Amino acid sequence: MTEEYDVEFVETGDRKARFLVRGVTPAFANGLRRAMVADVPTMAIDEVRFIENSSVMFDEQLALRLGLVPLTTPPEGEFVDGDTVTLSIDVEGPGTAYSGDLVSSDSLVQPAEDNVPIIDLKDDQRLEAEADALIERGKDHAKHQGGVAVGYRHLQRVEVEGDLPEFEDERSQIVRGVIEDDGELVPTSEFDDDLSNRYPGKEVSVEDVPNAFVFHVETDGSFTVDELVTRAVESLEARATELEEAVQL
Amino acid sequence: MELRVTERTETELSIEIGGEDHTFMNVLKGTLLEHEDIAAATYDVNPEQSGGQTEPILTIKTEPGVDPIDALEEGAGNIRDKTTAFRNAFEAAV
Repeated sequence: MTEEYDVEFVETGDRKARFLVRGVTPAFANGLRRAMVADVPTMAIDEVRFIENSSVMFDEQLALRLGLVPLTTPPEGEFVDGDTVTLSIDVEGPGTAYSGDLVSSDSLVQPAEDNVPIIDLKDDQRLEAEADALIERGKDHAKHQGGVAVGYRHLQRVEVEGDLPEFEDERSQIVRGVIEDDGELVPTSEFDDDLSNRYPGKEVSVEDVPNAFVFHVETDGSFTVDELVTRAVESLEARATELEEAVQL
Repeated sequence: MELRVTERTETELSIEIGGEDHTFMNVLKGTLLEHEDIAAATYDVNPEQSGGQTEPILTIKTEPGVDPIDALEEGAGNIRDKTTAFRNAFEAAV
């Protein structure tokens, strides 16, 4: 059995992209989506040792906030389960402690975003802490989720059926996602999601294209979209290999 | 991944696949159903809180004369074909 897949990008970006995949079954598409959300490991702060916390928040609250700061995740193989990276933060009030104030001991693991506020410090308040970041999966805790907005829709084919009857009022026809018009891929945002803008005075029909899915993938900055998709596929592949080997025994 | 066979006849197999969830099980089931020699394939998972069997159980029925274990092995191989094909297509498009 040979599989014929075809991937085409509609929108490209480091952290956000949209691409069309042809030839996949719904089961495979959903497996891929779920793997991106829950099975691709990312780094996140898991344990915090407070040296001084004279801010208005409890240690636990700050630990949660620190945990939610997205960290860049090193290439596969650099880290294994159980490895930690230490980050430290030392900020004195008045002022705000930002994620960018975290100093990492490893250049591969850095805050992906520098302007996440952690706590507003008043005069004489100080935050000094040391934190250990772990690599884990989104399944364990949402802070380890690399894909933050991952979903897919069917590609929709639009066909012009003919002209609207002469005296009929034009009605808006809302479609979201990406449409295929004579083989051309058009994001619906180009015509304000309304087919009556693109085909004024025409009667059109819309239908899902079987086994063609438009994925929308956004990451939290831990890695690029390409990396997230590749790692998700690899996680599915690793499980298939494991099953194949386990069954042979 | 821990496997435990719970039921087995010549053309039927029920197997517990420890540590997996819908992510992999549904891909596996979908792929098994595309296999010519597999007459039926399904899986069942109970929620964490149910307190009973919470690991997924895969059940396969094959056409006469086909060992369900072999069919499962081929099914796992077919997933690999799919992931490889997808990865190649994706990397070509990037």
